[in-house]
Amino acid sequence: MDESVIISNAFHHAPWGTPITIYFWLVGASAGSFVISSFGWVFGIKRYKPLALTASVMAIFLLMIVPVLLIWDLGQPWRFFYLMLPGYWHSTAPMAWGSILILSYPVSMMVYSVFVIKGNVTWARITGILAIVLALSTHWYTGVVMELNPGRFINHTALAPLLFLTGAFISGIGGLLLVLWVQNFFRAAEKRISWTLMSEMAQYMMYGIVFDIFLLWLEFMQTLYGNEGEYMGHDVVLMNLFSFPYIWLEAVIGLFIPLLLLVSPIKHNKVVILAASAMVAFGVYGMRIWWVMGGQFIQTFY
Amino acid sequence: MNRVRFMAETHNNESKHHHRDYGIQTPGTKGVPGTKRYAMAIDLRKCIGCMSCVVACKAEFGTPLGVWRTWVKTADKGAYPNTTRVFMPRLCNHCDYPICVRNCPTQATYKHEDGFVLQRYNRCIGCRTCIVACPYNARHLVPEKRTDGNLPTLVVDKCTFCIHRVKKGLLPSCVQTCVGGARIFGDMNDPESEIAKLLAKEKVTVLKPSLGTEPAVFYIGGDFEIMSENKSYSNRTTQLKEEFNTFKRQHPGDAFGDIVEGESTMYWVKKNMVDFVAEIPHKASGVGKIIKKLIFG
Ligand code: SF4
Ligand code: SF4
Repeated sequence: MDESVIISNAFHHAPWGTPITIYFWLVGASAGSFVISSFGWVFGIKRYKPLALTASVMAIFLLMIVPVLLIWDLGQPWRFFYLMLPGYWHSTAPMAWGSILILSYPVSMMVYSVFVIKGNVTWARITGILAIVLALSTHWYTGVVMELNPGRFINHTALAPLLFLTGAFISGIGGLLLVLWVQNFFRAAEKRISWTLMSEMAQYMMYGIVFDIFLLWLEFMQTLYGNEGEYMGHDVVLMNLFSFPYIWLEAVIGLFIPLLLLVSPIKHNKVVILAASAMVAFGVYGMRIWWVMGGQFIQTFY
Repeated sequence: MNRVRFMAETHNNESKHHHRDYGIQTPGTKGVPGTKRYAMAIDLRKCIGCMSCVVACKAEFGTPLGVWRTWVKTADKGAYPNTTRVFMPRLCNHCDYPICVRNCPTQATYKHEDGFVLQRYNRCIGCRTCIVACPYNARHLVPEKRTDGNLPTLVVDKCTFCIHRVKKGLLPSCVQTCVGGARIFGDMNDPESEIAKLLAKEKVTVLKPSLGTEPAVFYIGGDFEIMSENKSYSNRTTQLKEEFNTFKRQHPGDAFGDIVEGESTMYWVKKNMVDFVAEIPHKASGVGKIIKKLIFG
């Protein structure tokens, strides 16, 4: 029997696009950067204290861009406060939780930063713990918001939050290393962040990359061996239309090359660390693209 | 346990259906005594693909260009001389367990006690989460330009099963217009209704039953070739593919997520962002107008 051909159908726009991909990247990099900030004041690793403020300010700054993206992406921007209005708020909708997290997370980071500036160890620790929980939750939510849609096949996986959190961790460190490098030019010689410390952070990033590759491999197998929709996501979206962000940007540029660099004998070299950082930060954005836009590409045909 | 007792016990057991009532305001009512459950059966053997239903729906709601509450999907099967053309009218399934409803952050979309899944435009913020959630492509963002300026724009819309007509004892517009009598509408919980009798008698199927949405749109004589998700994408004619691409190129600025096949994905990622930024002042002027209206009346 010959296969049928579809000669008429309706097409509707893919609902979420580039602004959402950038937002997912920003929240992730912010959370990752904040995790590093907390090393010194929350987990008591003294050598990380000098960079705590830079890391948390970077985390706050990245998050400040988020409302612009999210609110202007709405069809009705001036109604954004409905997301938190009693009587409107919908407890089963991940986005309703997300909007509360996105508001409370930067506030908690700001309070933490104030105590860091004041040098108040106890309160910096307490507010730091709260902020780190909120940082992880905010990024956990970005994974969940698409995971809880059984019809979005490549997103409907319990790996989603883990993929996001791991991406957050590595892109946060990558971004922070670049910022610290630039900042070092402006710091007094005795206050500069040492390359030993930065290279240690790069090694944490390397462990994150290994875990991310493992998660990506799991997702790859699930779609390859998956049901009709999952396989279609694999074949049409990941291997074909979105192969640049998926294979090249995320896997090759964002994970494999930096991994090779960071396990090589020249792993402590400044240029190597900075190049790996830039590639990781950029590569994680590739994941945000295929995850958001690729996941919705097929739906517009059904 | 002997076979007779086993049969008796399994037969007497209450059905172990696993309900997914969380977040949908009104529990599923399919087959629940004392409740109404409006549903539609589409007899594909009778559909002639005249598209009257599509036109009637557009006329009823002034649905803007490029978006649909109902449409008719068409496929050609076989090779000459053994060919046939199959049709499949599509619309919101008014699911008993709608994913769109439980994911809407402002409860703008909700489930009516008689089974309709409806939209409250005044609550909708246009976040499009419900479009992401719906597995059936049944929802759309209303474009900003529509003929009747008094009707809502930039909120999400979908088929309402014509609740405004049904509550007045009329049939939905598409059903009323259907020349082939292919669309049958009514309360499937009422054993005397035409649809209940039809559903009891005919072999029916629903779209993507494995997703647990329990659709209330049933198809009689459905064809795998046209119901398959994979084939909807991969078996499109070149002309249809180009139509979609033209649509994407000519309607920027609605959702910033479209990718044109055959063109660089990264170009489209960038273009969507440019469109988004270009929209900001425009949307800001909309906000300005509302503030002005609030202050000066
Ligand atoms: S078909 Fe889609 S829009 Fe309609 S009720 Fe089901 S999930 Fe919601
Ligand atoms: S677009 Fe409107 S109806 Fe859809 S989820 Fe957002 S607020 Fe709810």
